[in-house]
Amino acid sequence: MRGIYLGLAITAFAISQASSAENPVTLPRFVEETDSAGIDSIYAGEWEYMVGGGVATFDCNADGFADMVLAGGTNPAKFYRNASERGGSLHFEVQTSGLELDKVTGAYPIDVDSDGITDVVLLRVGENVVMRGLGNCRFERANENWGFDGGDGWSTAFAATWERGAVWPTMAVGNYIDRQEDTSPWGSCTDNWLHRPSGNSERRFAPPLALKPSYCALSMLFTDWNKSGTPSLRISNDREYYEGGQEQLWHVEPGKAPALYTEAEGWKALRIWGMGIASYDLNADGYPEYFLTSMADNKLQSVANIPAQGQPKPAFADIAYAKGVTAHRPYFGKDLRPSTGWHAQFEDVNNDGLVDLFIAKGNVAKMPDFAMKDPNNLLVQTAVGKFQEAGEAAGVASIATSRGAALADFNLDGLVDLVVVNRWEKAQLWRNTSSNAGQWIEIKLQQPAPNRDGIGAWLEVKHNRQVFRREISVGGGHASGQNGWWHFGLGEMTQAEIRVIWPDGTSSDWQTLNSNNLYIVERDKPTKMWKPG
Amino acid sequence: MKTLRHFFAAVAIIAFALFSPSVALAVQPTNVHAAEVLREWYHMVLKLVRHTPTYSPPVASRAFAYLGVTAFEGVASGSAELQSLAGQLSGLQAVPKRLAGQTYDEAVVIDAAMAFAAQNLFANTGPTGQRAMAKLAEKLRADVTANVPADIVARSESHGQALAAHILAWSKSDGGADIENMGFPMEYKLSKGAAYWVPTSLVSQQQLPLLPSWGKNRTFAMPNGTTCDLPAPPAYSEDTSSEFYRQAREVYETSQNLTVEQRAIARFWSDDPMLSPTPPGHWISIALQILERDHSDLDRSVDVVARLGIAEADSFIGCWNTKFQYNLLRPVTYIRRTMDPKWEPLLITPPFPEYPSGHSTQSGAAAAVLTQAFGENFAFEDATRHRDGLAPRRFPDFWAAAHEAALSRLYGGIHFRAAIEQGLEQGRCIGAYTNSLRTRK
Repeated sequence: MRGIYLGLAITAFAISQASSAENPVTLPRFVEETDSAGIDSIYAGEWEYMVGGGVATFDCNADGFADMVLAGGTNPAKFYRNASERGGSLHFEVQTSGLELDKVTGAYPIDVDSDGITDVVLLRVGENVVMRGLGNCRFERANENWGFDGGDGWSTAFAATWERGAVWPTMAVGNYIDRQEDTSPWGSCTDNWLHRPSGNSERRFAPPLALKPSYCALSMLFTDWNKSGTPSLRISNDREYYEGGQEQLWHVEPGKAPALYTEAEGWKALRIWGMGIASYDLNADGYPEYFLTSMADNKLQSVANIPAQGQPKPAFADIAYAKGVTAHRPYFGKDLRPSTGWHAQFEDVNNDGLVDLFIAKGNVAKMPDFAMKDPNNLLVQTAVGKFQEAGEAAGVASIATSRGAALADFNLDGLVDLVVVNRWEKAQLWRNTSSNAGQWIEIKLQQPAPNRDGIGAWLEVKHNRQVFRREISVGGGHASGQNGWWHFGLGEMTQAEIRVIWPDGTSSDWQTLNSNNLYIVERDKPTKMWKPG
Repeated sequence: MKTLRHFFAAVAIIAFALFSPSVALAVQPTNVHAAEVLREWYHMVLKLVRHTPTYSPPVASRAFAYLGVTAFEGVASGSAELQSLAGQLSGLQAVPKRLAGQTYDEAVVIDAAMAFAAQNLFANTGPTGQRAMAKLAEKLRADVTANVPADIVARSESHGQALAAHILAWSKSDGGADIENMGFPMEYKLSKGAAYWVPTSLVSQQQLPLLPSWGKNRTFAMPNGTTCDLPAPPAYSEDTSSEFYRQAREVYETSQNLTVEQRAIARFWSDDPMLSPTPPGHWISIALQILERDHSDLDRSVDVVARLGIAEADSFIGCWNTKFQYNLLRPVTYIRRTMDPKWEPLLITPPFPEYPSGHSTQSGAAAAVLTQAFGENFAFEDATRHRDGLAPRRFPDFWAAAHEAALSRLYGGIHFRAAIEQGLEQGRCIGAYTNSLRTRK
């Protein structure tokens, strides 16, 4: 079997179209369909909206297609019902959903009450609001019923997990600077909050716990970075505003107060203009890599020195330069000033079995030392694990002032599409029209309540002789989150072996699934192929 | 401050009416208020230096020089005691004069001059810096103009702005006005050879050295960037009996046996760009703390900040000239090559050649200038980094602080001893040129 995989992989690379002589890659193709799809949403606002600008994608009417809500800043957030046909051009319809609040900076979908209907957390300048999904893309405010204290901060990051034994999620909210500070906003980072369940059996939140110290978070992610079975909270912080701060990794263990990983435990300080986190196990060693966006430089971190028996220390090597993903300045045009990176996400856009990296770029405002025409990146991974820029050739190199984004298969054709939120300009939508892409598979996880969507699970796919692992999470990116189908490219493989490590650590059996299909993998039940309609 | 201000304003008006209706001289109480305004702007600039990405230490030193000269000339133009630096500093022509027989308000003059200078020197800062500057300008203007007659306000603001514009125009031709790519050249040919600097960072921008032409910039008080040249560092050698190896070994072994105190010293003086006010800002902060502690008057305040800024700026020009003359590799490169491939210094190695140590040069110059200003054995406490969680440190005198700052680079693993000791000497030489400036009539 392994020999077959290897042979097929070689064939896949032989048919690649876009290439350098050294590292051929399959070039993805995208077509912008913003206007024809009916997207007309602007992330507006001045200083208090210089960060944020997210999008959440999720299916709220049980048709399998990803709907979405876009942050509007001073404009009301805008909800779009996905009206696309499978495999067709993209089409969205504005629909009143209840999510149309103003001052929204970001949005993350999560089924808080595990009723099978996705809820949405709206991050705001002001009170954050948890919106309970009612079905058919209707939502209602649930702060009071669920004991959620929305605060009055400038919220810019979100992550969620289900702690072991809990029937209710633990949600972390990242807060930025004190917006009342005028002449000295630096050093005024406000506390991030951890909203834990009120006991193990209550279906509501306890009063929030301040995560001290807080350093102006712009992205956070619960992630089991060391395969311990208990996710830690990774926070990327903006060094522009903290004093004495750095990136952070928190122990968040059930029944215990959160505690920062320390230098004594091996944690190495890193100080960047942290703006977004993307995570994926790129080298198939079982441990996720972390891409961190910043200004003039971006980081790709890999756990350093993994002992044979596991249990690595929280020390990360920066492999961005070696992998070709520093993405530090525009890659075309005459504006070669340094770049400003925001949302980042790993997805396989050409279905060659290797995840690629999208980075949304855009000046903070009009900072003259940084590129104003700063194209978004689409870095396609090559067979040797390095990345090549394909944004312009693929057709997604927008030079708008981008912020949040989502890569999702909006028309369920197995090709990952793209939506990007822009500051002061219309959000943009691209359909992936690649004609030479490889095979694919998409999976939706389900398990009995609580945590019906299996947040914290690992999805494993064997590819060639390697096992690629994807951690199912809510959080990361820049103010943007997703829930729904999890996509894998398969190259030329017509079948895939997959396995699920459920959040409690229980492993499913390996099972073989045919490519180019969507599957619902329900815990302890036979996997079902799913088709729309 | 506002109540005090109104009292001083009233006193000033009475004093002016009684004694000197035709002479454009400020009165002392107004000067006290002006000194407060001066410090307010300097505190803002320290923050802007930290939060403006082009502000590497050399660029910061330049800003402090022009800001200091602006403040000094603003006050000197109305002072019977202070001597203008025009004609003494390279290329500085006579500055705009006050109108004879007209009244000026010192606080309004200094506020207008500093606001103009800060908003131009930091025109490239981000939206938060722009917002903070605008808010401070608004607040200070409201404060300094309260109860001051409109004609005096207009005249004083006009003079302050004209003077600052004159200094700004002078600054444009010094070679350091335009910073691209955060100071990293888009093209630069690295020298080949074991002794020469190679990149030590994994940041793409930093594969070429910071500001390689900075040493050619126009100087302020010393003739040019070569004036305080240094002897060559120990000859490069990998021979374990060589002086070069011995000095590298010292860095390596020190790093392996750092005491708690040495570690604290390294961090206290690390002064990293974007995470601190940078080394020149650290010394400006020291001066501000002393001026504030001692309630120093306006003349003394502007004399100190001008001299210190000038000395810092000349230090970075002289130091950078020497750095790119010898183009020496960093300890991390040599130690990994000859002793320990996995060695990590405590501090982040700066992205430019090693010899001499920039912090040492500018600390030496600062010590020379501040010792002349405040005297020998002048003890002080430095709380520059307390908001970053670094405890204040006490020093018996300025040279003790300079030596500690210089040695911190050895503890941090980013400099050899020769760069530290020679850097201090270079700073002493450069500081002497600033000390020879005549600021009093």
